[in-house]
Amino acid sequence: MHTAQQRANRALLIKLLLVALLMFGFAWAMIPLYQVVCELTGLSQMTREAKQAALAMPVKLRFDATVQPGLPWRVRALTTQLTARPGTFVKVEYEITNTSQRRVIGQAIPRYLPAAAGQYVKKIDCFCFKQQAFAPGETRRLPVVFLLDRNLPPEIRSITLAYSLFNVAG
Amino acid sequence: MATEEGLLEHLPHHGPPQGLARWLAATNHKDIGSMYLWFALTMFFIGGILALCIRAELFRPGLQFFQPELFNQLTTSHGLIMVFGAIMPAFTGLANWMLPLMIGAPDMAFARMNNWSFWLLPPSAALLLLSFAVPGGAAAAGWTLYAPLSTQMGMGMDMTIFAIHLLGISSVMGAINIIVTVLNLRAPGMSLMNMPMFAWTSLVTAFLIIAVMPVLAGAVTMVLTDRHFGTHFFNAAGGGDPILYQHIFWFFGHPEVYIMALPAFGIISQVIPTFSRKPLFGYTSMVYATASIGILSFMVWAHHMFATGLPATVQLFFMYATMLIAVPTGVKVFNWIATMWQGAMTFEAPMLFAIGFILLFTIGGLSGVTLSVAALDIQLHGSYYVVAHFHYVLVAGALFSLFSAIYYWFPKMTGKMVSEPLSKLHFWWSMFWFNVTFFPMHFLGLAGMPRRIPDYALQFTTFNSIATIGAFCFGLGQLIFLYNIIFSLRHGKPAPEHPWEGANTLEWQIPTPAPYHSFVEAPTLEVIENGVIVGMHGGKHG
Repeated sequence: MHTAQQRANRALLIKLLLVALLMFGFAWAMIPLYQVVCELTGLSQMTREAKQAALAMPVKLRFDATVQPGLPWRVRALTTQLTARPGTFVKVEYEITNTSQRRVIGQAIPRYLPAAAGQYVKKIDCFCFKQQAFAPGETRRLPVVFLLDRNLPPEIRSITLAYSLFNVAG
Repeated sequence: MATEEGLLEHLPHHGPPQGLARWLAATNHKDIGSMYLWFALTMFFIGGILALCIRAELFRPGLQFFQPELFNQLTTSHGLIMVFGAIMPAFTGLANWMLPLMIGAPDMAFARMNNWSFWLLPPSAALLLLSFAVPGGAAAAGWTLYAPLSTQMGMGMDMTIFAIHLLGISSVMGAINIIVTVLNLRAPGMSLMNMPMFAWTSLVTAFLIIAVMPVLAGAVTMVLTDRHFGTHFFNAAGGGDPILYQHIFWFFGHPEVYIMALPAFGIISQVIPTFSRKPLFGYTSMVYATASIGILSFMVWAHHMFATGLPATVQLFFMYATMLIAVPTGVKVFNWIATMWQGAMTFEAPMLFAIGFILLFTIGGLSGVTLSVAALDIQLHGSYYVVAHFHYVLVAGALFSLFSAIYYWFPKMTGKMVSEPLSKLHFWWSMFWFNVTFFPMHFLGLAGMPRRIPDYALQFTTFNSIATIGAFCFGLGQLIFLYNIIFSLRHGKPAPEHPWEGANTLEWQIPTPAPYHSFVEAPTLEVIENGVIVGMHGGKHG
C-alpha cells in the first residue's frame, strides 16, 4: 500500500521535473522561436511598414521627357508614373534611341512641376548630370535615382519630373 | 482492541526531535511550514527596512542619505527580497502547513525534498544581502535585471544571479511537492471539485511556478554567460538583442504576478465564508476563474513592453488579452461579495484583513486595467503610477491576505489565540497608513514622476513627503504584528477547539493545537464544495 503510493508519487515527480526541465529549455528555444514567428507572421515587417506609414502619405510621381528641335533622339520614360512615400528612394529608367546615322551628344535639363517640389527631390544618380554621347542608331537605358525628402510639404500631392533634351554642339 | 494497539505501535507516535536537529533535518510539514513563515517574516522586515531607506531619501528632493548608485541597489534588493524572500516563501509555508491538514494527508509527499526546498532559501537570502558588501555593491538593475544593465555590473550581479538560481530550484521543488500532495494524497472522499479553494489556488500556483521559474533561470543564465563566457544573447554589437531579455523575463514575470496573487485569492475564499457563516458563493466558477487566470497569465507578457516599439497589431493583442484577465478576476470579486451578502458577518481580524484585501486589491486591479491600455501605458510606463498599482496588489493584496491567513490559522497552528485588540489595531493602522503611503503615488505617476530615481523635480515634493510619512508609520505598525505574534505564542489565551464558529473545513476537525503528526491514518470524508466537511470517519493522529 505504502509502496504503491510512493511509486505513484515518484512517477508524478519525474513528470513534473521533466516539465521544469522543458521550460528551462524553452527559455533558450525562445531565441529561434521569435525569429520564426516574426518571419511567418510578418510581424517585424509590420514594424517597418508602420514606421513608413508614420512618415507621410504617399505622393504621386509622373515622369516625362521631350526632345527639343535639333536633336535626332527618341526618348521614352519606362515608368510614366508611380506612388512613393516621402523618405524613400525611387529609381526609374528612361530609354533613349539615337535615330540618326551619326554620333550625337545631348544634355537633359530637368524641370519640376510644381517648381517648389524641386528642392525635395534629392537626386543621387541621373543621366542629366552629364552630357550623353550616342553612337549611330544606339539605344540605351539611363537611370534616375533620387530620395524623396521626408520634409516634403504635405500640400504637394503629386510631382511631375520632366526632362528637356538639347543637342550639344560639337 | 489488541489489533488496534498493535497498529499504533507502527505509527510514529514520538514527538518532535529536540534541539537544532529538529530544524536542520526537519521533515515534518508543520516544522518546515513554520520555518518558511519565520523566514518570510524576517525577509519582510529586511525588505521593509530597505523600503524605508528608499522613502527616507525621497522625503525631500535632492540627495540626502544615499548616492544614486546605492539608491538603485536599494530599490533592486527591496523588490527581489520582497518577491522571492517574503511573499513567495510565505505562501509556500502556508501551503506546507495547511494543505495536508485541509485535504487529510499525513504530510507533504516528499518530506526530505521539502527540507531541501526550505534550506536553499537562507543561503540565497545571504547571497542577496552580502552582495551589498562586495565591490560595486548589490545588483542595481531593478528587480527585473534588464539587460544590458545587468550584463555590465560588478560581482553583486553574479551573486544575485546565483541567488535566483537557488530560489528557483527551491520554489520548483516546493511546487512539485504541493502538486503531488494535492493530486495523490487527498483523503478518501476529498474529490478535486470539492477541495477547499486554498488547495485549488495552491495547485494552480504550483503549476505556474513549475512552468515559469525555469524560464527565469534560463534568462539569468544567459545574462551570466553574456557576462563571463563571451556569448552575445543580449549584446546588440554581437548580434544579440536586449529586447529579447525583456521577452524572456516577462514570460516568467507575468505568471509570477499571479503566483503571488492566486494563493491570496485562496485564503480570502476560506476566510470570507467562515466569517459570513455562509458557503462560498459560486465555488465552481471560482475554480474555473482560477484556472483561466492561470492560463491567461501566459498570454499577456508583452503588456510590460508597450514602450519597446512593438507593432500596433501586437500591442492590440496584448492589450485585449490583458483586459480579458479582468473577467475571471471580476468573477472572484463578485463571488466574495455575494458570499458576504446577507451573511451573518462578524469582523474578527482575519475578516477585516480579507475585506481590506477586496477593497484595495480591486483598486489595484482597476489601475492595472488602466495600465493595460497601450496608448495610456506609453505615458504611464515606468512611472510612480506603476509603483502605486503593484503595491496595491502586492501589499494590500498578497500581504494583507497573509496577515488574514496568519490571524485565521494561528489558533490551530499554535493552540493560542492572538490578541484581538492588537490584531484589530494592526489592521486599522495598516489600512490607513497603507493608503497614505501608496495612494499619492498614483498622482505622482500621472504627473510624470519616474520610478527608481533618488531625486525628483520640486513639484513632486508634497506627495513624496506624504508617502514617506505613510511608509514609516506603516512600517512601524508591522511591529504591532511582530509583538502580537510573539506575545501570543508565549502568553496567548489557550485556543478553543473551534475558535471560529463558521469554520468547517477539515483542518478544524483535528485537535487544537494541530498534533505533530496529523492524519497518520487517512480519514474517510463526506465533503461538499470548498472543502466543507459534513461527515468524517476514522483518521488517526500520531
